[in-house]
Amino acid sequence: MTTTDLLPPDVEADPGQPRRGTVPSRGEDNPMRAVITSRGDRILVYVLLIAMGLVFAFPLYAMVAKSLQGAGIANYTTLLTQPVAGVNVLTTYLNSFVIGLLHAALVVGIGSMAGYALSKLHFRGRELAFALIILFLAVPGTALLIPVFHITNEADLFNNYLGVALPEAVLTIPFAVLLLRNYGHNLDDSLFEAARMDGAGHFRVFWHIFLPMTRPAIANLLVLCMIWSLQDFLWPSMLFTNPGMTTAAQAVSSFANALGRSAEDFGRYNASLVLLAVPAVLFVLFGLRFIVNGFASGSSKE
Amino acid sequence: MTTDTRTRKRRRRSDWLVALVFLAPLLAIYAVYYLYSIVFLGQTSMQRIGISLLRPVQVGFENFALLATDPVFLGSIVNNLVFAAASIVVALTIAFFIAVALSTGVRGRKLFYLVFLLPALMPLSLVATIFGSMLQERFGILNETLRAVGLGDLAQSWLTTPGLAYTAVILVFCYLIGLPIMYYTADLSALPTSALEAALLDGAGTFRIMTQVIYPMMRTTHITVILALLLGAFRGLEQVLFSTGGGPGDTTEIVGTYVYGYVNSGGKTIGYAAAASIVVLLIGLVISLAQMFATRTKRSAR
Repeated sequence: MTTTDLLPPDVEADPGQPRRGTVPSRGEDNPMRAVITSRGDRILVYVLLIAMGLVFAFPLYAMVAKSLQGAGIANYTTLLTQPVAGVNVLTTYLNSFVIGLLHAALVVGIGSMAGYALSKLHFRGRELAFALIILFLAVPGTALLIPVFHITNEADLFNNYLGVALPEAVLTIPFAVLLLRNYGHNLDDSLFEAARMDGAGHFRVFWHIFLPMTRPAIANLLVLCMIWSLQDFLWPSMLFTNPGMTTAAQAVSSFANALGRSAEDFGRYNASLVLLAVPAVLFVLFGLRFIVNGFASGSSKE
Repeated sequence: MTTDTRTRKRRRRSDWLVALVFLAPLLAIYAVYYLYSIVFLGQTSMQRIGISLLRPVQVGFENFALLATDPVFLGSIVNNLVFAAASIVVALTIAFFIAVALSTGVRGRKLFYLVFLLPALMPLSLVATIFGSMLQERFGILNETLRAVGLGDLAQSWLTTPGLAYTAVILVFCYLIGLPIMYYTADLSALPTSALEAALLDGAGTFRIMTQVIYPMMRTTHITVILALLLGAFRGLEQVLFSTGGGPGDTTEIVGTYVYGYVNSGGKTIGYAAAASIVVLLIGLVISLAQMFATRTKRSAR
């Protein structure tokens, strides 16, 4: 999953419908529990899940096992205390985090305003405008590499967090517009009309009604933007040359180049990989709900 | 009544201006990063020029002619399709099963989600590096394991043997099925329960319910997954750059690494890379259109 690999979710906001895209529970209210019909089937499902889980966990295990080679746990302590080639692991988290915040702010700001216009304002050509905006949903970042390099140069944004957050946001905005427009589309018009009748201006309606009501979708967007910035290698690698600004995804290559190929260095190198994976682990443990919610692609209401 | 329609008409007309204001930030960023970028790519693709973008030599359509006859470029498109196909097969079978099984509320869900989703949420540079490092000739865990169990003769230089390197990249793509699992998980939570109940009354077993009841019901999700993975492959870069680097001998090159390579070559290859970018951009737009078409038929079916 690179920046906005995903395609349109069509979020339903009907209060009567089950909330789409929730993480399953063990409770009685989960109708999927009924899928497992017998004891034998249950055992088989567990066996298959565990077998696949072991296969999937193996590369992660290999990384952790390798990371202790050589100096053992000291591989980690030296990485956390001494920079490698001018790059400090903890700083890379911070760099990715700052870019993620800028990325999220741009996407939510621009995306929610457009989402309001495309779902709650009435004007001719609205559907055409929407179609033209989401036409750029599937633009690969590599295709824009040369122009973005040029634009960044003209705007003097090399080695600037905003310089990386902008192209990231550009690639995420079509997705955000789609998410927020569909979410807004499913919100009841009457509340908006009543507020307008009472004399509230569009900006007040946007700020006091639209934004609070689309909060779940905005929360999903925030988490996804943070993850995509954490994952992004392309833009930092093109637009940052200052080692102090290296992001987590970029650090993978900085460490590969700096740490040699001796057995000890190989251990330290793998330890650096483990450390760079930590933020993703935290996202799965604490943000899974927001991530899965953003992916609901379903359509039918029946 | 006439006044009523007139006020409504007036409101509509004023909405147009308001909409323009709400869409202004998006239009500004689109104008610079998409429209200007496309014009700039068009110009640059007709030139022989370096990354400094100074002193261009106009060459007409020469870059496109060269591109069309470069077997590596055509091969990279084919590779993209092969890698996408492999990940689609895995997604429609294994990822579907995992999502359904975890949706039934099995024990240890959190751990399973962590194992299956983590790879897709970590920086891709990191995941590809782990694979590269597992297959590394001297210290890689695969060769070490082979030597340890006395099968040292089987130890290979995995990443420099064409067929093996190709398989390694396919494995990286198949390993990243977190995205489809999230799509399925999100949509399963909104599955109509009536169909499940009917199947239960029929006394169908777990695996029959999965394959003959749930699988056909997830048609929209399957389409979303297929398009998302196709797009993901064409957006791909790190998967190859950090595992095989496109080698040996360009055999595992994808369009992402192809463009990235020419942009970073340091020679007068920017015009050529711009021509390749245009082709990649067109592929992206076609995938967007396919997605919009799929959503449209879905909407009218409602």
